[in-house]
Amino acid sequence: MLLEIKALTKLFGGLTALGHLDLHVDEGEIVGLIGPNGAGKTTVFNLITGFIRPTSGQIIFDEKDITSMKPHLVAKLGIARTFQLNPLFAEFTVLENVIASFYLHPKSRWRDAFFNTPTYRRNERQITGEALAMLELLGLDKVKDNLAKNLPHGYQKLLGIARALASRPRLLLLDEPLGGMNQDEIEFAMRIIDKTRGQGITILLVEHNMQIMDIVDRVVVINFGLKICEGTIQEVRENQRVVEAYFGVEDPA
Amino acid sequence: MAERQSAQSGLTKWFLLAGLVLVLAGVPLAVKSVYFLRILILVYVYVIATCSLRTIAISGQMSMGHAGFMGIGAYTSALLAKELGWTPWLTMPLGALATMIVAILVGFPFSRLRTFYFSMVSLLFGIAIMGVNTIFGQYTGGIYGLTRVPPLFTAGSAWYYFFFLALTVLSLLVLHRFESCRIGTSLKAVAQSREVAASVGIDETGYRVLALSVGCFMVGLAGAGYAHYNLVLSESSFDLLASINLVAYMMVGGMGSFAGPIVGAVVLASVPELFRGLKMFAPYVFAGIVILVIFLVPQGFVGLYQKTAMRFVKSDGGRRGGAS
Repeated sequence: MLLEIKALTKLFGGLTALGHLDLHVDEGEIVGLIGPNGAGKTTVFNLITGFIRPTSGQIIFDEKDITSMKPHLVAKLGIARTFQLNPLFAEFTVLENVIASFYLHPKSRWRDAFFNTPTYRRNERQITGEALAMLELLGLDKVKDNLAKNLPHGYQKLLGIARALASRPRLLLLDEPLGGMNQDEIEFAMRIIDKTRGQGITILLVEHNMQIMDIVDRVVVINFGLKICEGTIQEVRENQRVVEAYFGVEDPA
Repeated sequence: MAERQSAQSGLTKWFLLAGLVLVLAGVPLAVKSVYFLRILILVYVYVIATCSLRTIAISGQMSMGHAGFMGIGAYTSALLAKELGWTPWLTMPLGALATMIVAILVGFPFSRLRTFYFSMVSLLFGIAIMGVNTIFGQYTGGIYGLTRVPPLFTAGSAWYYFFFLALTVLSLLVLHRFESCRIGTSLKAVAQSREVAASVGIDETGYRVLALSVGCFMVGLAGAGYAHYNLVLSESSFDLLASINLVAYMMVGGMGSFAGPIVGAVVLASVPELFRGLKMFAPYVFAGIVILVIFLVPQGFVGLYQKTAMRFVKSDGGRRGGAS
């Protein structure tokens, strides 16, 4: 088990954003976290990555307790994430956005970086090369010198994924990766996500667009901060509580 | 191919800059006026101060008390040399170090505050430092100023000019390397989005405190040098107005590039001196320039230059401007 969440609870004031959530993700899996708007999906991500602290419960990553750990330290352990809104460094170029992610595992020491030694320059060239390869993979190489803020929305989303992948995560958290994309971009993004599976990356994703279910191994459905169902996509589709959560309870009259 | 071209243009740039430094180094040979050299020396001090302020600014922190930090360096070095009789060559680095230590101490609590709140608290810090000056008035001279600071060279010596030129070149080299290597990339990343930065493992607090301490070390050094040149220190050199002046220099020159604060400091710091004959109008000229720049070219002089240069090179609005 790569990620294990035990009885995770988060209260905002008196409001239960998340109640006793149990969730696990095995190595190499793609797990979908779905639920209606406001169900608490992004809260789960924010809790895992340390942006907010849980009221109670435990988060275990690779047999290590990471509950309430600082975000940058969580990232160093190998958990990368994308963001629904503002997913990138707006004033950086596309290439710089990806290069910044490579510094998670710095190749050069500060001393080398500051004095611009040959070692540093060689390492930087290598990083640039790898970043370019990453952009090529995601079809962003043509816009590499554009400022990230000037990109169309779908490209920004792809860049968010490129950024996260460049940090070489073991677990990747994707927050609505297909949101705001057109059909071509959706199919392309899904191929990319599917491809990462072969590279030893485990994925937990939040998504509204049901096309994603083609590549997801397992689904966890939450509503009002509570888990209402878990299983393969087929099992979930037939679950009465899921249908009720999305379409409401049928009027008996 | 492209790499070689950019390496070549980089080399040309370094030759041009080295040439500029040589020309500046030759100034005392051509100009004997002590008064003119004094203006240049003060401009150099402000160039260091403004560039170090930008180092802090690129990490997303607009310090409104930077002159206060300059004062820490100046007073520390001056007092150590005066009271303990140590040579200024030792007390100047110590003054810079003291400034950096204070910056680290206040940096951790300050770094919890962002944008406007950071500016407010740094502003109050700058004022509080002046309070310390008054409290310890028997040593610092309080509002009457600190006099008889041990000099670095004999009065009016051209060595002062060479010393400040060397100090400026060295400081700018350090600050430029600092921001162009991967440390600088992380600083700018923090300023743009602390969430995204944290998600790729950048320690926001660490980098912001780092930027503050490096910027304050440099301004402390500039302040210490100033102390042993001016030989008299008064509160007004380091008060709120002085801090705001530094921010104005930076904005007028343009925050977006390394050259911006240099240009801003050179233009604005020399205004009061150039208009000395009309001294009473100097503040109006200064304010006029600042207001005009903010309204007409918010990206500053250097930003305007880059934009214009780009228009001639290629018409591609979405791409990044010239060299930084």
